[in-house]
Amino acid sequence: MPLSATTRAAICQLAEQYPERRTALLPALKLAQVDVGYLPRETIAETADLVGVPHSAAYELVTFYTMLHEERVPPTVVVVCAQLPCALRGADALVRDLQAGLQREIAAGAVEVERTSECFGACHRAPMARVNDRYRENLDEPARKQLIQDLSTS
Amino acid sequence: VTVALEYEPVLLTHPGRTTPVSLSEYEAEGGYVGWQKALEKMTPDQVVEEVKASGLRGRGGAGFPTGNKWGFIPKTPGAKYVAVNADESEPGTFKDRELIEIEPHRVLEGIALCCYAINAETAFIYIRGEYVEAADRLEAAVAEAEQAGILGRGCLGTQVNVRILVFRGAGAYICGEETALLESLEGRRPMPRSRPPFPAVEGLYRRPTVINNVETLANVPAIVDRGSGWYNSIGTPPRNTGPKIFCLSGRVNRPGNYELPLGAVTVRELIDDYGGGVIDGKAVKGVLTAGVSAPILSFDKLDTKLDYDSIQAAGSMLGSASLIVLDEDTCIVRSAALMEEFFRHESCGKCTPCREGTYWLHKILTRIEQGRGVPGDLDLLLSLSGEISGKVLCALGDFAISPVTATVKQYRGEYVAHIEGGRCPFEPW
Repeated sequence: MPLSATTRAAICQLAEQYPERRTALLPALKLAQVDVGYLPRETIAETADLVGVPHSAAYELVTFYTMLHEERVPPTVVVVCAQLPCALRGADALVRDLQAGLQREIAAGAVEVERTSECFGACHRAPMARVNDRYRENLDEPARKQLIQDLSTS
Repeated sequence: VTVALEYEPVLLTHPGRTTPVSLSEYEAEGGYVGWQKALEKMTPDQVVEEVKASGLRGRGGAGFPTGNKWGFIPKTPGAKYVAVNADESEPGTFKDRELIEIEPHRVLEGIALCCYAINAETAFIYIRGEYVEAADRLEAAVAEAEQAGILGRGCLGTQVNVRILVFRGAGAYICGEETALLESLEGRRPMPRSRPPFPAVEGLYRRPTVINNVETLANVPAIVDRGSGWYNSIGTPPRNTGPKIFCLSGRVNRPGNYELPLGAVTVRELIDDYGGGVIDGKAVKGVLTAGVSAPILSFDKLDTKLDYDSIQAAGSMLGSASLIVLDEDTCIVRSAALMEEFFRHESCGKCTPCREGTYWLHKILTRIEQGRGVPGDLDLLLSLSGEISGKVLCALGDFAISPVTATVKQYRGEYVAHIEGGRCPFEPW
């Protein structure tokens, strides 16, 4: 799927904004991902062409950064931090509760729940989860019930 | 019970607040006075000298004297850059996030002063991709300050230009390593560069560049406004001056950011008097003081003062001052495995000892935790660690071995119990 005219214009504008065009590559790929939903090869190539770098230069960023996706992702991705500070405050139980409470949505491919060893800088409000781009913190019993309710399709 | 210290915060001046301090509020509380003073009454060199005299040391972890770093920038003509490290990703660290989300203008004023001091017109704030809310607030604050003529072209009616660009990362701990951060800004795979040349000589776009942490720069407005003499009255001069934000997390009743003078309280006082003590009144088994990147301090070191030199003398590092508290019910082997999982995930893969070593360290720790450890595993862990340390381009390799070497040394009995008992002796958590 080609990029929309708006995204193409935004990428071209980004490339003009920096002292060197290549600085725009990462933000451009993020814009492209928002537009297409993920980053298939042809989108990576189109973005690289707009910034003016080899396709391989763009591809090697996509395979490096965890926030860039080569494949489609479900509409809702819940990532639970399970690094030490969160693990000490019940992150594993949170993962289990979310997986159990969102079973149907997970089976339907609408929601993905995963744990990560990466820290999201919310250790003082642990346990927590990133739900797409936003943080849900202090996920105690009532808060996690609310989160499950917010994400359930029924 | 010790009474909490009487201390007026300098950095996080609005405890408990959740919304950003606006430009008008910041100005009403003396904001941008330092910026005005520098532009009207000080030369760039005088700003550098004032910061040198303050004794301010880098708050990102390394503790390098900030004024000296600025002084390394050559005075030759041509572009120079400021890169602000807001890639806060060290487990247990959430101070820069609060500074940016609540006090964005204090951070911007510090950046502007750094630009002026080294004669740079462009600053990039490299903020981790997950900090969406913080980045949005920063961009709004930049727009506010530009519209008011404080930043941008012709700051406060002078000839000085300061352009601040917010650059969002995309999920990579290594981007907090200063040369990887520069690679990321240049649109390349963020892998550390070999040094020399150092960034002060050849940094962003091969030009002289200062890279400072968010909290470091947030200290600068008060230093310029109130002077280095005042700054030296806070903390423990000469080597540990000024305020520091301590991030307290793990098994404590009140985790959070606590701003205190360097060296004013001990680890135990921070936990008990500020953090409300350990959950359920349990005993402390150990405390990590620099996130997961420096050796754990065992329970017998809790009376160590919280400053760079005291923590170092006790065998660890203050680092970013991210204190993770482990109580008596915490399994050390599982903790080490979790920490190593982080480094295995975040190793950029450039240097073989780190890429392969973190994989094996994690694998061995996991098998010990799962009761499948074999005699000789502890020696294997230590020898593997020795093959990483000092044999890689950046500090991540050395960070990655400390969860292993320090815990094997200080809690050997727990490892042995796992291996000999064939199972983890702790309740799962």
